[in-house]
Amino acid sequence: MVVSELHSLVLSHFLFTGAVLFILGLVGFLCRRNMIMMFLCTEMMFQGVVITLVGFSRFHGNLTGQTFVIFVLTVAAAEAALALSLVVLLFRRKRTLDPEAWSELRG
Amino acid sequence: MPYLIYIASTLAAISLYMMMPRRGFQPGKFGALLGAATLGGLWLLLAEYLPEPTDRGVGHAVMVYYYIFSAVAIISAARVVTHDRPVYAALWFVMVVLSSAGLILILGAEFIGFASVIIYGGAILVTYLFVIMLASQSGDSDERPDHDRIPREPVAAVIIGFVLLSAILTAAFPTAEENLLHPNQFSAAPADADVIAGVLTSRPVQNMSRENGALAQALAGEFEQLSNAERIGLDLFQGHPLGIELAGIILLVCLVGAVVIAKTRIDSFDPKVGADQ
Repeated sequence: MVVSELHSLVLSHFLFTGAVLFILGLVGFLCRRNMIMMFLCTEMMFQGVVITLVGFSRFHGNLTGQTFVIFVLTVAAAEAALALSLVVLLFRRKRTLDPEAWSELRG
Repeated sequence: MPYLIYIASTLAAISLYMMMPRRGFQPGKFGALLGAATLGGLWLLLAEYLPEPTDRGVGHAVMVYYYIFSAVAIISAARVVTHDRPVYAALWFVMVVLSSAGLILILGAEFIGFASVIIYGGAILVTYLFVIMLASQSGDSDERPDHDRIPREPVAAVIIGFVLLSAILTAAFPTAEENLLHPNQFSAAPADADVIAGVLTSRPVQNMSRENGALAQALAGEFEQLSNAERIGLDLFQGHPLGIELAGIILLVCLVGAVVIAKTRIDSFDPKVGADQ
């Protein structure tokens, strides 16, 4: 594999895609009213971060970004397992996926 | 160029707001058209600044693949956010994962691309689909609950998101012509061959036995012939051993926590009792 450097504007295009995926995930997390979909949107934010990390890894010509993606995948897998088991627990308790049903936790 | 980014962010925010599910009149098609036009117009305007294809950088043929994969990723992501049925939104997320794996392949990171398809598209998405199937009440389109069809505070969420997006993009795109003339002024980080060769030869663990030292020298010499996965493996295990241990601890704690949560007894399993508790 020949490691060639990216032009900074080409890097900016990849950063653009990563930022748009991150922002769409953020908007989805804020306005979806289904707990499963909220956590799916956080996975989409992880995808944006992964594209950004790999783009910077290619731009700098070293492997630190790609190595960090492995840890991001680890955290994403752990987060998915814990969040989904919590969602199933909350669903069994109130029979709904609406987070508004738990709004008394707001205090 | 900042004004271009602000205008594009505003148009994209309006189009995403129009695509949100709502009661009554649904301008989703117009929102999708407006969003696609915004994305295409932004890319057309930016394409004038792209550098000439050289043998060092990424040429225009690769940029064509970038446009295809990136458009698929962004459109699928918008559908994930705006689709009112969770199963279809999860399937659109598979498209996001596949097309962003294509983007990662363009960047020359084969291992990360395949790993993200296997882990995200395979493992995590199947888990999400299982939970969606477990926790959905009924499959009828008319019986869908309100909380899937009506978003919560869509105006505020879209404004927050796209103000942040325009701030990020203003920083990500070079604002002056000088930045375009000096493209690689930020690439001061050392190349990976130097880093790994330095790590391999300077670690005391490696120099404890002569075989390991010789192996390190051989690997450092043959670095150019290594594949992407071998390079990531070397960088991971030589440069981040503590990180690997911490990742293992995170996974173990997560496993124990998930078992504890799954074993929690819920007394009010009856739906009629659970509704008003």
